[in-house]
Amino acid sequence: MVLPNVSHLTIPSSPAYIGAVVELSRAQALEIYERMALIRTFEERVAQLFAEGRIPGFVHLYAGEEAVAVGVCTHLNEGDYITSTHRGHGHCIAKGVPLGEMMAELFGRSGGSCKGKGGSMHIADVSRGMLGANGIVGGGPPLAAGAGLTAKVLGTGAVAVCFFGDGAAEQGTTHEAMNLAAIWKLPVVFVCENNQFAESTPVVYHCAATSIADRAVAYNIPGVSVDGYDVIAVYEAAGEAIVRARRGEGPSLIEARTWRYFGHFEGDQVTYRTAEQSAAHREHDPLTTFARQAAERGLLTQEDVDRIHRDAARQVEEAIAWAEASPLPAPEEALTDVYVAYR
Amino acid sequence: MRRLLQPDGSLVEGGCSRLGPEQLVEALRWMLLSRLVDARATALQRQGRFGTHSPVKGQEASVVGSAMALDPAVDWIAPSYRELPALVRHGYPLERILGRSMGRSPAATRIPDGVNVLPNQVALATQLQHAVGLAWGLRLQGRPGVVMAYFGEGAASEGDSHEAMNLAGVRRAPVVFLLMNNQWAISTSREVQSAGQFFRRAEGYGFAGVQVDGNDLLAVFEAATDAVARARAGEGPTLIECVTYRLSFHNTTDNPRRYLPPGWLERAECEDPIPRLEAHLAWLGLWDQGARAALEAEVAEEVEAAVQAALAMPPSRPEDLFDQVYALPPERVRRQRQELLQHVQEP
Ligand SMILES: Cc1ncc(C[n+]2csc(CCOP(=O)(O)OP(=O)(O)O)c2C)c(N)n1
Ligand SMILES: Cc1ncc(C[n+]2csc(CCOP(=O)(O)OP(=O)(O)O)c2C)c(N)n1
Ligand SMILES: [Mg+2]
Repeated sequence: MVLPNVSHLTIPSSPAYIGAVVELSRAQALEIYERMALIRTFEERVAQLFAEGRIPGFVHLYAGEEAVAVGVCTHLNEGDYITSTHRGHGHCIAKGVPLGEMMAELFGRSGGSCKGKGGSMHIADVSRGMLGANGIVGGGPPLAAGAGLTAKVLGTGAVAVCFFGDGAAEQGTTHEAMNLAAIWKLPVVFVCENNQFAESTPVVYHCAATSIADRAVAYNIPGVSVDGYDVIAVYEAAGEAIVRARRGEGPSLIEARTWRYFGHFEGDQVTYRTAEQSAAHREHDPLTTFARQAAERGLLTQEDVDRIHRDAARQVEEAIAWAEASPLPAPEEALTDVYVAYR
Repeated sequence: MRRLLQPDGSLVEGGCSRLGPEQLVEALRWMLLSRLVDARATALQRQGRFGTHSPVKGQEASVVGSAMALDPAVDWIAPSYRELPALVRHGYPLERILGRSMGRSPAATRIPDGVNVLPNQVALATQLQHAVGLAWGLRLQGRPGVVMAYFGEGAASEGDSHEAMNLAGVRRAPVVFLLMNNQWAISTSREVQSAGQFFRRAEGYGFAGVQVDGNDLLAVFEAATDAVARARAGEGPTLIECVTYRLSFHNTTDNPRRYLPPGWLERAECEDPIPRLEAHLAWLGLWDQGARAALEAEVAEEVEAAVQAALAMPPSRPEDLFDQVYALPPERVRRQRQELLQHVQEP
């Protein structure tokens, strides 16, 4: 089968740089790699668990896009906010939601972040500024604008990061949120994860501009497009946008060009792109690229990498055990936490 | 911002008008008619004989200049609620438009078959979805038409405007988005409506965006004819931002004195497109007091005849509420219609 060239993505010909602008410490490099490895391990394990029928409902996996969540969230504090998508596990892990609670949520257990009543697409942990994965495509941007308004009105200095897909970029809510955030100079960073598809719709079928970042001009805000495989490129662009937001200069838009390794959801037959295309993209895997470059700079050793992966595997197994030990929610819990009781 | 016509009626240096003498007078005629309808409809509304009216006053060059780029035989208009002269020019008779606001029978006031005008939309930006669907459909059917969709800068903040423009760009639909930046969305000023320039939004949708002086008939006509030609040639949509001023209230329920900054209206009135066009005609040697008086009298007669024709139409009936809503009304709606009829028949 021959597929048209439908991607916004050109595979980078030169390897991503490291340390040219941003000097990373060994501790930072370790932290970045640990987070990315944790996401990758979690997602690969969830794929197996789902295939075994141990996870109910629906899962959308983030593997391949790790550099985006980690490159951005490395800048954030616990008081900062993020909004997420249906593909939210990576954002949760990058923002520090405990793995056991995430896994329990996926398993529908009462120990889950939302007491097991939300599942994969609704993990939220407000105490850690994770305002929710979201089953509604384009549901996150208005929430992020609202969180930014909260931070601005209360003067907390917090920022809100809105992760959204290329498909979500075409939703009216995204326009409304960016427009308001720009008018009110809200501390929001809009991060579009352009993984080239919205389900099976290639980005060139739903966006006639050459980049989602071209939308920024409409709101008179900075807009940049970065290589989403390159955690340092993401880290740099996000750093600038976050500093700008904290200074009260308003929102920014970042497009990170990336590729998801799994199907749109688990069970997807992936008839809209070829195995060769995916294989070509995997050559630029964000984890191996970063590990190699960090090693060249003397920041990481092969032993570090091996240990980090072993550690990640152990953490994920512990999370599974913790989740499975957690009871199912009691039937009468179905009606709690649905409406706030206003008095 | 593109401008061809100076306030004194002369052309900018190197400027060239695409409208000949007859078309210029035709345009002025539509503009004067529109201005007169605004006054007459407002007076009738104050007498309780007319529904809500949204005046075109101040925006006539934008509305008429863009409509004159269309061929009513093949092109379509997807209106908002402030484009009356465009609709009349396109073939929707004035007495029907007036009659609709005067509670006359839907049968007597509906858009005639064969007139390529969509029902006007008050729900902001919804007409843009209709326009794109229609334009895309015309293209799929290999038909020649172009759709002109009108919306305000306030409506441009609606998510629907984003979705419509994006889809139009992707499908290269033959549609012209005419964004009427009249500086106000009721009491919300342009400054707090968006931090960017409206016409530049087109860049994010992969098509051309232009900004024109909306009080300059020649510049609006030029931008609109170019956009229509591009759409007709299969080159996709254009976003035209007409920078103009709303010289009246938002509609007959509004009192702008409560929010207009001091001096704003007086400054905006200096940009009134009608005197500017008249000055241009005079500059061309085509205009004098006599010509103006004759045109005004002609227009007044036409408006008065339309008002009288509207008054003579049968009134609408309560059950008309239910017509033209469903092709096949569901049981619940049929029952409600029955209940209403019983209710109005009871003594
Ligand atoms: C409002 C809404 N419309 C449609 C859907 C169905 N849907 C789920 S995911 C998806 C595609 C989203 O694509 P994108 O935003 O690019 O995110 P990605 O899946 O690529 O991460 C669609 C259409 C939905 N969940 N919500
Ligand atoms: C979806 C929707 N929201 C709100 C309104 C109320 N409303 C009617 S007109 C208007 C302002 C529109 O301003 P603009 O788009 O600039 O057009 P203008 O009236 O200036 O021609 C508003 C908010 C509406 N009709 N529809
Ligand atoms: Mg996508």
